[in-house]
Amino acid sequence: MLRIKYFGKTSFMLSTEETSLLLNPGIWDGEAVVPDDLDVRIIAVTNHLDDAVGNAAQIAINAKAWVLGDESTIEKVKSQGAKPWLLHTLENEIPYEIPGMKLTPYILKRTDPANDEKIENYGLHIEMGKMKVSYVGDSEIRGPFGALESHILITPIGGDGVFPVRDAVSICIDAHPKLAIPMRWEDHEQLKRFSKYISQFGHGITPLVMEPGQVLETDWAAGHEFRFTISQNGPNESD
Amino acid sequence: MSEQKKVIIDIEETERTQLGELSELENIEAFGVLTVKNPSERCRVWNVRVLLSDTRDQTDITEDVLLAGEIDAGSSWQHRYKVTVESPILTLSETYDTCGEVTTEEPHWAYCFGKDNLLRVTIRVKNETDGEIDNIVLNKTVPPELSNVTIEQVKSGTAEYDDGTRQIIWKDFVIYPHEENELVFTATANVEDAEEKDAGQVVVTYRAEGQQRSLLAPDLTALTEFLTGIDSAENEPNNWEVTLECSNESDLVIRLDKAEVYVESEESGTKEKRIDESPEIELGPGTEWTSSFQMESKSQPKCSQEVIYTPVNIVTKRVLGTIEKAAQSIPVYKIEYTKTFDPPEVNSFDKTPVEVNIEVRNAGTAKINEITVIDKLPDDVMPPTKEYIEIYIRGEEYTGNFEFAIDPEDQDPNHPHTLTFKISDLKDSVGELQPGESIRINYSIMAWKSRPEKEYPSPIHCFANTYPPGIETEVASAEDGHKIGIIYKKRRISAKKAINKGTEAGQYILVLVIENKGEVTVENVKVSDWIPRGFEVVGIEPEDLEPRQQPVDDGTDLVWIFERMNPGDQKKIRVTIQGEGEYDRREPVVTSD
Repeated sequence: MLRIKYFGKTSFMLSTEETSLLLNPGIWDGEAVVPDDLDVRIIAVTNHLDDAVGNAAQIAINAKAWVLGDESTIEKVKSQGAKPWLLHTLENEIPYEIPGMKLTPYILKRTDPANDEKIENYGLHIEMGKMKVSYVGDSEIRGPFGALESHILITPIGGDGVFPVRDAVSICIDAHPKLAIPMRWEDHEQLKRFSKYISQFGHGITPLVMEPGQVLETDWAAGHEFRFTISQNGPNESD
Repeated sequence: MSEQKKVIIDIEETERTQLGELSELENIEAFGVLTVKNPSERCRVWNVRVLLSDTRDQTDITEDVLLAGEIDAGSSWQHRYKVTVESPILTLSETYDTCGEVTTEEPHWAYCFGKDNLLRVTIRVKNETDGEIDNIVLNKTVPPELSNVTIEQVKSGTAEYDDGTRQIIWKDFVIYPHEENELVFTATANVEDAEEKDAGQVVVTYRAEGQQRSLLAPDLTALTEFLTGIDSAENEPNNWEVTLECSNESDLVIRLDKAEVYVESEESGTKEKRIDESPEIELGPGTEWTSSFQMESKSQPKCSQEVIYTPVNIVTKRVLGTIEKAAQSIPVYKIEYTKTFDPPEVNSFDKTPVEVNIEVRNAGTAKINEITVIDKLPDDVMPPTKEYIEIYIRGEEYTGNFEFAIDPEDQDPNHPHTLTFKISDLKDSVGELQPGESIRINYSIMAWKSRPEKEYPSPIHCFANTYPPGIETEVASAEDGHKIGIIYKKRRISAKKAINKGTEAGQYILVLVIENKGEVTVENVKVSDWIPRGFEVVGIEPEDLEPRQQPVDDGTDLVWIFERMNPGDQKKIRVTIQGEGEYDRREPVVTSD
């Protein structure tokens, strides 16, 4: 079983009985989305901007968690005090594998809102708890993710340097996951349109809008039937 | 024999009726003229008193007796009065059906813009009385937008259309008690704008001889030239024959109502009535009437008389009527539409959701009860499903029933689809669409790998109708209208090949670099590279890019298929081959969708 908790914006934590993975604990308007004292084993950051890196260093220090990212991200986290021996630089298409988790990064791109320049952003293909999760981070290009097998696809929809709704829908239709989870929206109209398009044109795909604090539990019933439940707080969550 | 002239009491009452647009009674007023005519050529009548007794209740006459005074020969006296009535004796109704070609229980009431409106107008008049009504003349004004005016039917009388005055005149008929007459004409109406039109007034005049609206039953008393006298003749001594003599000296017929003669007693001075008659006889001009008795008296009797007479009268009466029916206002039903795509353009070869907004506005002056939109979608477009179609009326989401059909019934983007939306019976749901109001239909489509060399027109055809339904007004785009814009994104796939010698004799390393240098994602990229007979593949890097090996006449084709390559994607493949013989260079062949 794979549990996915949503913190808001682009921050998710994936957890199984074996391990846990925090994605993009960003800081937005000066506020961290994820608490510093989160207990987590691995933190993966898809690019070096603050809305992705956020308080990753502090969480890593508190939880003694590994931090994964590209070179510039690792340098940034290091400069923020993270322990060098808990840092790992990801290489394009080179899997990072530990018991209970396999993570393969693919170089994608996003726009830096500070200067409108394109910067690298990793899209992550994650295998945990018998689930394949595609997390494209803050991307505005799809890379191979339209063709990778994914049971769950997490995509931004807000535009402004990342996918707008139409591109998010397009990648979902190509990847054809069982669940399509939007993130980083600007308004509820975007959520409404994303859900409408996926429901209407993504035959077999379920659009799932998560609210901050909600926990998604996914499982293979009888080994092959995909099932999911969503709740405000998972059974093992304390917050 | 001289002419028998009688005083005439003439009652001529007039009713004026105004009907509203739909023949409803708006106002009726009636008034009358009571005339006393003295037909005599030489005799005056005087002390004329018109007696109404208790028949004046429905009038504004305040006295039971009208004093007419004296009326010279050949003259007359008049009294005007008002009469209270509730409805006319002739009723009129007009049914102006703007769509005679569609049969409905209720008539159609609006013109359809842009179409020939085949009208059928029925005008009925009914006699509500027990007497005949004649002298009926009906005028119907024909509005200027009508042509091909044809009198289809009249039960009786003659009806003609005068193109010069644009009037239909129907006349020369009598309506018997409680019967009805009917005129039907047809015409074609064409309107060039949406302003309300005037359907033309109807005016009918009529006469009902012998009838009246009031209950007046007049009589009169008067005096005229009438000679009376007592002749006392002694037949024998002290025996007298007393004769009352009355003679009509006028040229009028006079009725003698009462003749009394009294004799005064010489001794007591009391009077004794000796002639007491009520002959009620009509005396023609120059005729006499006498009555006598015998009495004993030593002297000539002292007699006095009392004679009551009056000129005989006849009552004539009639009702004259006018009905004016106001012209019916005929609104026009007309629609306009807009259709937009958001975004208006999509990238070629991509899959892009597009919002389609269709707004149909009531651009006429009539209320609209149903709207139908037929929207055609081209191929390479995935059509919507019903549950995601949104309809807004007056800016608010409409949650009532609507019909939606899609032909063919699938979402396959490989062929065109026709969508039909029908929103009907607004009257009984959210109310008819008033002039200026609109209906907006919103739905989504998915542009599905649109090709830049193709055009994607999405024409639309909108219809609207009223209640009851007549012919539909419509508005449509051109057959190639409303094209979905395609942003051409260039495709460019680069294939490079290097041949390097391997570590062993007869071994070569082929390096293939396939790169999407275009602006758009390409799918099903097929790369085919040939190796000569006598050589075989001994190694592939990366290992997961194992090619399919397809034997050909002079060797083997190595074939890779990449499902999707995004702009900037690069595939670098190292193929190690081993064999004997010559290795000629051939360039790899790359194809894609």
